Amino acid sequence: MKSETDFTQPSVAAEGVVKKFGTFTALKRVDLTINQNEFFTLLGPSGCGKTTLLRLIAGFESPTEGEIKLMGENIATLPPFKRPINTVFQNYALFPHMTVSENIGFGLKMLGKPRAEIAARVKEMLALVQLEAFAKRRTGQLSGGQQQRVALARALAPSPRVLLLDEPLSALDYKLRKEMQVELKRLQTETGITFIFVTHDQEEALTMSDRIAVLSAGEVLQVGDARAIYDRPADRFVADFIGEANFIAGTIESRDGAQHRVTLDGATLSATGDVDVAPGTAVTLMIRPEHVQVSTEASANALPARLERTVFLGTDTHYYLRLHNGEPFIAREQNRSAATAPLEPGADVYIVVDPQSARLLKD
Amino acid sequence: MSETPEQSQDTRRRWLLSAPAILTILLFAAGPLIVVLLFSFMERGDYGGVKFGQFSTEGWLSVIYTKDIFDDSLVFADANLAIFWRSLKLSLMTMSGALLVGFPTAYFIATRPAKSRNIWLFLITIPFWTNLLVRTFAIMDLIRNTGHINNILIGIGVIDEPIQMLFTDGAVLFGLIYVYLPLMVLPIYASLEKLDLRLVEAGYDLYANRAQVLRHVILPSCRPGIIAGCILVFIPSIGAYVTPRVLGGGKNMMMGNFIELQFGQGRNWPLGSALSMTLLFIVMILLIVYVRQDGKKGETDGH
Repeated sequence: MKSETDFTQPSVAAEGVVKKFGTFTALKRVDLTINQNEFFTLLGPSGCGKTTLLRLIAGFESPTEGEIKLMGENIATLPPFKRPINTVFQNYALFPHMTVSENIGFGLKMLGKPRAEIAARVKEMLALVQLEAFAKRRTGQLSGGQQQRVALARALAPSPRVLLLDEPLSALDYKLRKEMQVELKRLQTETGITFIFVTHDQEEALTMSDRIAVLSAGEVLQVGDARAIYDRPADRFVADFIGEANFIAGTIESRDGAQHRVTLDGATLSATGDVDVAPGTAVTLMIRPEHVQVSTEASANALPARLERTVFLGTDTHYYLRLHNGEPFIAREQNRSAATAPLEPGADVYIVVDPQSARLLKD
Repeated sequence: MSETPEQSQDTRRRWLLSAPAILTILLFAAGPLIVVLLFSFMERGDYGGVKFGQFSTEGWLSVIYTKDIFDDSLVFADANLAIFWRSLKLSLMTMSGALLVGFPTAYFIATRPAKSRNIWLFLITIPFWTNLLVRTFAIMDLIRNTGHINNILIGIGVIDEPIQMLFTDGAVLFGLIYVYLPLMVLPIYASLEKLDLRLVEAGYDLYANRAQVLRHVILPSCRPGIIAGCILVFIPSIGAYVTPRVLGGGKNMMMGNFIELQFGQGRNWPLGSALSMTLLFIVMILLIVYVRQDGKKGETDGH
């Protein structure tokens, strides 16, 4: 462990990391760089390898191939108790035979810190998570949210370089989860510690993260901030996993820089995308439901469709449409005026697409 | 507060329903103990048994004192106390030995994949299927002077003379640990199996090395199992009869043998009864001391 901080080094880096359990490959050559003081989220469905990656960083598993680096140093062979990295476990894993204070002070005690220093730090941590009144309680007597905060305080008390959080909010109810999201972000900003957060909940990821890595089947599909992931998804999986999306098949007609002309279903749309494909190639177009307008009048960059169902939701109206080729399409519009009535089902309409928002995906 | 007729009827019915249980306890648990207690306060019969109705404290006196054959003065019975002390020492050592061997065994089984655990548990309990005497004689066959261990050691030239292992306290200790080991392994296994392995990971994550995780996380978590195992091993070993008899020879008696002696050759039933009660009190006092200690610890630990 180096005491001085080299700000040019990434906090955590995975280089060519492969993890196999018997014949099952949990991680297929993962390369990832996580910056210092970053709130980084590993997002993916269950079984995508995000927890395995977290366990590799914590040291509970060792990689089959590749290196895990902390501040530029390979730590892949260090046992977890020699890594300045702490974990908030999914079900908190608080020690049931200890009080709240003893739980929080455990790491410092194991590091051999003097009693007075531990006591002071525990007090500080209790204040940070607002649990001063519960210092002497047993952890079994706490509510889920309180246990969550003890787990956080326990992991933060030894001032780790990196804090790992393994779906820590999944056991909480909706309201508490919302509060804890804000709380976590505040703690991360206040402590300046790198947070690596694992979740399958896209909303959680978008709320808190500086950057998000989307994983599927042991591979990192895309790394970027919330907007990059949402607006410029790398592939269909990412687009589908984060937010809602319409996918329509089309053919490239022409290309002008990043702007492509795509023909589909008798219409021609303008779309963006970094895909390098020749005219005549079949592609998939991704359009977010809120990036379109449903209109009764034909215009440029519009798809003809039939309106099958209208759902009025107060702030929004959802339109369930069907394109002429039979594909379903969902559009979402904000109700900006109380005077405007939503369109009636059964009408022949046009879906007007924002050319900057329609995105070409690799097939 | 006076009871309504329905309430009193209800109470009567409840007593009636619990009568079989109460009767069983009285007949088979309290009853025999009372008989033993009464016998300990009676005059010894000439050919064993007791002289009914003749009160005597002779039995209890003989527990600690012995009459001088010449002048009938009371002398401290060193031999009896030596037997008490040996019993206590050997059973505490058995308990510790069984814990030392049993804990790693239980931990090993508890950390196997769920499917193979039952096989390991089965292997642990297999010796129970063989008669205790047969097992004890098998140990005897191993460790006697012309037994297998000595034969092998002499055969490969490690020793010239056989080592005297049989009829020593060591032999009794070994036998007791072997016999009562499953009683230590099973309760510890039961509590270890429930141990949340994430707690162990949390320990490692918070800078505890293997030894520290064992001490601060695993041991406190399976404390109830360890205590149950210790009690289960201690109580039968302090009253053990077969093992000290076969492996300890006639000289290294434990309380079980001493008591048997009074009811058999010694023909001193009151003394035998008094000794049985003494054994009961020793165990009871130790348990009470332990329970109180544990209760205090629980109070200071939190709440």
